[in-house]
Amino acid sequence: MAAVLGLIIGVIIGIFVKPDIPIVLQPYLPIMVVAALDALLGAARAYFERSFSDKVFVISFISNVLTATLLVLLGNQLGVGSQLQTAVIVVLGIRIFSNVSAIRRFIFKG
Amino acid sequence: MGDKKNRNILSSMHIQHAQDRENDRTDTGSFPIVRQRPKKMGGGLVSRLMTSLLIVLLCALLGFGYAIQLNNKTSTYETMSEEELTRLISETSTQVQNLQQRKTELTGQLNSLKAAANKQQEAQRIAKENEDTSGILSGRLPAVGKGVIITISQGSKERIDAATMFQLLEELRNAGVEVMALNHVRVVTSTYITETRKSLECDGQILKPPYRVKAIGDPQNLQNAVNIAGGVGSRFKVKFGAKVTVTPSESVDISETRDAEQYQYAKTVE
Repeated sequence: MAAVLGLIIGVIIGIFVKPDIPIVLQPYLPIMVVAALDALLGAARAYFERSFSDKVFVISFISNVLTATLLVLLGNQLGVGSQLQTAVIVVLGIRIFSNVSAIRRFIFKG
Repeated sequence: MGDKKNRNILSSMHIQHAQDRENDRTDTGSFPIVRQRPKKMGGGLVSRLMTSLLIVLLCALLGFGYAIQLNNKTSTYETMSEEELTRLISETSTQVQNLQQRKTELTGQLNSLKAAANKQQEAQRIAKENEDTSGILSGRLPAVGKGVIITISQGSKERIDAATMFQLLEELRNAGVEVMALNHVRVVTSTYITETRKSLECDGQILKPPYRVKAIGDPQNLQNAVNIAGGVGSRFKVKFGAKVTVTPSESVDISETRDAEQYQYAKTVE
């Protein structure tokens, strides 16, 4: 419930405020969003598995975002930024899909 | 003996059962396992409130990032690598070149079309001019301008003959007449004058005296051509006893026209 509420609040603020993203952050923001989305879906899956833990969610959210950002940063420094970005997106995408399929099974099984 | 056999069978059944259990396991590792609900963390209402606030904050951050990323349409170039940017630049410059070439082509086309239009306009103007001049020349169009009106009364001594009348026309022509009419007949290049038993005939029309020649040209020249001493005017007076009057006019209106000739053999050179 808190998560949905937070999402709605965030989107509304984002739509109305329309801030300029600092240029340093621009390449990382999409990755951060996808990583956070993955964390959120993992939390949703854990909720359905009845193993949801606030602490785990918060930690996984932050660590996901940080890891993804650092990975892309590293890739940029090594000159393989776009490839590594693609790799991170692919991995996160796969995770998101598996989480979604697990959630779907929980919803439609019972 | 029998006891031992029974025990053997029992143990092999146990083994079999264990193997069956192992084989019938549905847990393949790829499906999620519902675990037991973890034991409630210790802590009171305050810490639970804090964690849900934190969740709200994080999700708000996520939504915020998503929303501003949606709005951020300006620059995707920052995220591109060097090769991509180079490729983009070369593609763009190729496109620019192509467009430039196309522009040059189209400009050339436009210019040629403009020139053609001008040429056509010029040709049309010349054609109109030609039509006017040839229309006046061939007698298809009425004409007006300054000139003279010559009136020749019937001869008192003898009938005016065709040769003298023709001489008058020739004299006028030499004096630079542009358009002429004899009575109601427009005089053109093919005009002829003959005599019938009673009177003159011009282009198939009977001419009745007094004869009236309307001529457009320089009035002074035309007047001189008729009135010159020993000229055609005095011939009319002396030989035929006719009265010749030449009146210059600022506006001689020759409304007599004739139909355009239909040539049977002559064709224009293409």
